[in-house]
Amino acid sequence: MRINVKKLNLLVGGLFLAAALSNCSKDKAEPIDTTYPEINTDSPTAFPKQCGVLKRGEKFSFKALLSDNKELGSVSVDIHHNFDHHTHSTELQECDMAPVKQAVKPFLLIKNIAIPAGLKSYELNTEIDVPADIDPGDYHFMIRLTDKEGWQTIKGLSIKIN
Amino acid sequence: MKKFYRLFLCFLICSVPIFICSPAVFGQSHQTVQDTTLKPQKKAPKQLKEVIIKDRRQQLRKEEEALNIEIVNSGFIQRNLGGSLMKSLERLPGIKTIGIGSGQSKPLIRGLGFNRVLVVDQGLKHEGQQWGADHGLEIDQFALGEVELIKGAASFRYGSDAIAGVIDLKPQSIPAKNSLGGSVNVLGKSNNKLYGSSVNLNGRQENWFFDARLTYQNYGDYRVPIDTIFVYDYAVKLQDRQLRNTAGRETAIHYTTGYIGQRFKSLVYLSNVYSKSGFFANAHGLEPRNVDEEMHDASSRDIQMPSQEVNHFKLINRTEYRVNAHQFFLDLGYQRNFRQEFSQYVNHGFMPPVYPDTMSIAPNLEREFDKQVYSFNLRDKLLFGKHEFTTGLSAEYQQNTINGWTFLVPSFKQVSAGIFAYDKYRINDDFLLHGALRYDFSHLHMFKYTDWFASKRTANAPAAFEKLVRSEDLSRTFHSLVWSAGLNYNLEQFSLKANVGKSFRMPIAKELGANGVNYHYFSFEKGDPRLDAEHSYQADLSLGWTADKWSVLLSPFYNYFPNYIYLNPTSRHDDYYGAGNQVFQYAQSKVLRYGGELQLKLKLLKTLTTSFSGEYLYARQLSGDKKGYTLPFSPPASALFNLSWSPVLNEHFQKTYFSIDYRLTSSQHNIVPPEKKTPGYGLIDLQIGTELWFQKQPVLVSLQAQNLMNTRYLNHTSFYRLIGLPESGRNLIISIKLPFNIPFHKS
Repeated sequence: MRINVKKLNLLVGGLFLAAALSNCSKDKAEPIDTTYPEINTDSPTAFPKQCGVLKRGEKFSFKALLSDNKELGSVSVDIHHNFDHHTHSTELQECDMAPVKQAVKPFLLIKNIAIPAGLKSYELNTEIDVPADIDPGDYHFMIRLTDKEGWQTIKGLSIKIN
Repeated sequence: MKKFYRLFLCFLICSVPIFICSPAVFGQSHQTVQDTTLKPQKKAPKQLKEVIIKDRRQQLRKEEEALNIEIVNSGFIQRNLGGSLMKSLERLPGIKTIGIGSGQSKPLIRGLGFNRVLVVDQGLKHEGQQWGADHGLEIDQFALGEVELIKGAASFRYGSDAIAGVIDLKPQSIPAKNSLGGSVNVLGKSNNKLYGSSVNLNGRQENWFFDARLTYQNYGDYRVPIDTIFVYDYAVKLQDRQLRNTAGRETAIHYTTGYIGQRFKSLVYLSNVYSKSGFFANAHGLEPRNVDEEMHDASSRDIQMPSQEVNHFKLINRTEYRVNAHQFFLDLGYQRNFRQEFSQYVNHGFMPPVYPDTMSIAPNLEREFDKQVYSFNLRDKLLFGKHEFTTGLSAEYQQNTINGWTFLVPSFKQVSAGIFAYDKYRINDDFLLHGALRYDFSHLHMFKYTDWFASKRTANAPAAFEKLVRSEDLSRTFHSLVWSAGLNYNLEQFSLKANVGKSFRMPIAKELGANGVNYHYFSFEKGDPRLDAEHSYQADLSLGWTADKWSVLLSPFYNYFPNYIYLNPTSRHDDYYGAGNQVFQYAQSKVLRYGGELQLKLKLLKTLTTSFSGEYLYARQLSGDKKGYTLPFSPPASALFNLSWSPVLNEHFQKTYFSIDYRLTSSQHNIVPPEKKTPGYGLIDLQIGTELWFQKQPVLVSLQAQNLMNTRYLNHTSFYRLIGLPESGRNLIISIKLPFNIPFHKS
């Protein structure tokens, strides 16, 4: 019986150690944020929208409602051609596409747009120039939005530039 | 949810004493004393089958190793054969995989993977492109004799990278004297219509032996229980629920020859493992893509772009020499890992819209990595008194070059060397102490890389175009001193293991030098050339009790990293270097991890056994930008229930088994950007097998049904988790092994 007690002691001791190591005590950490920010282009004033049309040689106002449960990070817009019909559209609605063609001088715009710090919601409204001498056709309008924690939401719109 | 996990673990820990203590008190009368020493067993068993000896050897190995180890043999692999080696091993507690497609996966030990798990093949570190989540392990699972998995930090023995654990792949045993034989394996799988075969021929006279193997596997697109998947909300319709372009081929050749003497043993091992496989065409990397569905769906076996081709060549010499109390081991090796990833050119960011025909790089070659490694290991094992003293020296030289039209990691060369001493001290038959010390040195030189296209700087007007220097020439030197201390205590049915140690890992070129857009993740990955070598402190404990009819094993661990290297998704976008993508910046943070595994085995009847294994893991970053978050790819808690029936039928059906697994995986809500929460699921697998004996010829037949209920589930650690792609549907596997002996007369 002596050995048995010894073994038992070892075992119980070991288990206590394991319990101590595993830190079963109450959770001190505050809950982490796991919510993605949102890009809303549904409102009537939002522009462009899926299958929307831009005009060469004109300015347009890029408008969208950005929101997050805690704090917005930054937003970036990327307009690139889709003459080859590769796709970055995230919308369910499909748009009429022009036939596949070779790019000559496609429009390319990559631009960060600052969001003031500390905001949960932001009405994005920024002017973008579309040069007059670019190839018309199918384009992608990608919006990448992060929140402060680093969650990113991507919205890819199919648009046309005429 | 976190609370649930904690409660779950607390429950497990609290319930164990009840399991253990009660029989410990009442079970005295039928206690059998087990011999735990190396001495030959006194009560000689009536029949000594080979398997029994092997099991005993594994048992001894476990009892004399302070780290947590799992050992499985080729029989286990045959019985649980998955699409790749790691998938076959995933049944073991604490082992998970990061998988892509049906034929590629990489190991995850207690939630850590990539360069934190070291794979040893034929005594030498297997060097591929371990950092890539979409890269598999270039290993032929048919060629293995035994796999030993070390869960826990083992840097003191293996050097850098063994920070989470080691997967030690051992070849098949050397053939018996004056024998000639081999085996033929054939394999078929229903889900991806795989067929394959592996043929082995080996033989030995007195001292000289050879072992040759040829393996071929060919599989089609795999099937998932879903018709339409949504890649970032972009709907992709699947034809016949087949994942477009995930077919693959694999060939492997191995040849070993050598001399086996009384005191001298030397063998040469030559192997070449080649694989070609497609990536899911609608989401190369993780971006939604329009593809020519007609072209892809014409055949489920063709491999179109995007695809990867990997060739791994090895030439290894292993020599062992015994003199007096010394045993010397010398390993020399050369390996070359050549990886190419093919994809149609699609301009991203500032790349020109049309691929220039003046480029020397083929327009379909997206990436190429060519790695050549020369290794040298020398060890001396010395037995004196109660000590087993091992000293060793290892050195490695690496040369890495890149090619392709995208950039992620610069070319580099690296030289590293380490020395270690390890003492195993046997205090008495029950008690062993372990102590080890190791010093490592490593020097890395990265080469400058300049973009082939110009980027537009918008910050200053007028806008200027320039070719960006992605990576500068950089030299870094690292030193590291690590230690380990452990003990084993085996008293009759009780066994205890404890180990504490410090491990390390040198930063890899990608962590130091990445400066490019990862077009598959919409991220701009930025290395930090000032990163320190990563350190880890780990405590491991293992408590076991083995009775006649049942056994229990609890293995908790506790791990702390003062400077875990982590790719941190920031809130910033970079419109110059990053082409508008989110900045993912390598950083170091304090990380705390703990968890463990619990295994229970119970013999219900002579032929009926049941087992339970559960695993739990918790990780948290204690500092830095992601303070409070977990680490990426943290596996959720899971439990595996098994019921096995091994009836003794007749002489024609031997070693028959019917086995059912139920795996229950909890949801994972403990995530970090850019992950997604994953719901829990339950899966049923079946395994049936037997040895058919005709005359004196056995045929080993194993059948499996994986995901029997065709359950639609997401695996949190799968590469395709981010695009919501469910795992493989039902898969029926048949594997037949025909061992043979050719009568051999000594000339």
